[in-house]
Amino acid sequence: MGRRATPYFLILPSFLMAAFIILWPLYQIGQISLHDVNRFGMLREFSGLANFQALFADPDFLAALWRTLIWTLGVVLGTLIVSVPIALILNDDFYGRSIARVIIMLPWAVSLAMMAIVWRWALNGESGMLNSGLRGLGLIHTNIEWLAQGSTAFPMQILIGILVSIPFTTTIFLGGLSSVPDELYDAAAVEGAGRWQQFRHITLPLLRPFINIALVLNVIYVFNSFPIIWVTTQGGPANSTDILVTYLYKLGFRIGKLGEASAVSMITFGLLLVFTIIYVRLAMREEKDA
Amino acid sequence: MKKLKRSILYWILLSPIVVLTLFPFAVMFITAIKPATEMLSPTWWPDQPAFANFITMFGETNFGQALLNSLIVAVSTTVITILIAIPGGYALSRYRFGARSAFRQFLLISQMLSPIVLVIGLFRLIVWLGLIDNLAGLVFVYIGFNVAFAVWMLQSYFSTIPKDLEEAAWIEGASPWRTLVSVFLPLAVPAMVVTAIFTFIASWNEFILALTMLRSANGYTLPLQIFNLVSRYTVEWNFVMAAAFAATIPVAIVFAWLQRYLMRGLALGAVK
Repeated sequence: MGRRATPYFLILPSFLMAAFIILWPLYQIGQISLHDVNRFGMLREFSGLANFQALFADPDFLAALWRTLIWTLGVVLGTLIVSVPIALILNDDFYGRSIARVIIMLPWAVSLAMMAIVWRWALNGESGMLNSGLRGLGLIHTNIEWLAQGSTAFPMQILIGILVSIPFTTTIFLGGLSSVPDELYDAAAVEGAGRWQQFRHITLPLLRPFINIALVLNVIYVFNSFPIIWVTTQGGPANSTDILVTYLYKLGFRIGKLGEASAVSMITFGLLLVFTIIYVRLAMREEKDA
Repeated sequence: MKKLKRSILYWILLSPIVVLTLFPFAVMFITAIKPATEMLSPTWWPDQPAFANFITMFGETNFGQALLNSLIVAVSTTVITILIAIPGGYALSRYRFGARSAFRQFLLISQMLSPIVLVIGLFRLIVWLGLIDNLAGLVFVYIGFNVAFAVWMLQSYFSTIPKDLEEAAWIEGASPWRTLVSVFLPLAVPAMVVTAIFTFIASWNEFILALTMLRSANGYTLPLQIFNLVSRYTVEWNFVMAAAFAATIPVAIVFAWLQRYLMRGLALGAVK
């Protein structure tokens, strides 16, 4: 074997593994989405874009599409807004900093499904601990059935989404902050810059590439996030908390409309590809700068 | 600002997020030790803490079997993923070859695809392989989804290991293979450990693929087993929470313990 072939030989196993579970399923989904298909997945005749047309005539799909937008923006913006100050605090020296770090990173180690199960119980209308906690604080007087309607369930799901996205985002920002040289701040302090000015003119610009990456990565993860909504409400009641991925799962594995479900997959994949191209561009640009 | 004053201010500022983060853990623990008679009373602390719930839970929830399944899946996924990813990461960090940048882009893109997007195709793949309701099928798919991340993490670590050491060994007359085994790999152990822990946690916690591919109760992994307890008509929340607590805390402790190293590794891997 020639030396030039060595690296190809080394990457082959990882390439094959990743390609097999991505390209083969993707090809299948593409096929199904363009065919008339029975509920056991038998392909019948080619049907062009009929599955896509059926989707865009389906009010539940359009509502889920719209809700996906709110869900993604809500969770991602909420996460970024909260994570910047948290990272700034955790980057500074104070008593108990390592404990604070551990606490804030903790949700990262927990299964999203498990987290959602706990919240489902905590949000229980009769004996949930959120209600008893809020009653104890005198904030509410009657119990709220949090998960019984979309108008309370969906905002709670967004809140849970923010909580579980904070650790990863904060970590990226901490990585960014640790790369800011202290001399910059010393120099700025000598020049008479206040803390806010230092933040605006030193920290924020240096943090910008990390904010961009955190933004795009979070959009991708949150857009795809399934367990929180599935475990707390399964998209219910009456599809009022469905986002694209839960609607896709329901169509495919509950109702057995595999053609339409695959069409949702293709649409989701298309949107993800756009986000991913943005990410790859950003990541590669960072690399050149570094 | 004095350090003490600053510490107090910071803890006050952090307190809402600290409370919200710890709330689910408190709910888990307190519910887990509530006796069945107090389940529906919305008190915080039970009058008669029933620590025995943890023991009863084992029988009630088939916890042992699910724990074993989760261990089998997570350990095999982790070991095989790392073994496959090491050569890949090594090639990316030590060789300059034509397809290098294409391969890196492929890794980035495949990292972005969550299993849920491909779930129908994956289901067909597993049916086609005859591995539905089989832990081996789940391991196979998990490896595919973790390998891109693992290669990416390993290559960014490997690139920080100076090449001089290997070159020195070659000059001393060691074969490339010998150099790899006795010079390079020992230096790369921390990288492998960090990557292994992330892979382990990811496969330990995975839900969607397990939900789709496992059919019979004896094959369920922990997240799925616990989810299924919640989907029953009557839910014994104290056992559910005891099981969730027992499935979560060991991983959380390992994570908290190694957190600093994990963070450093991830910051390096995610951004660089």
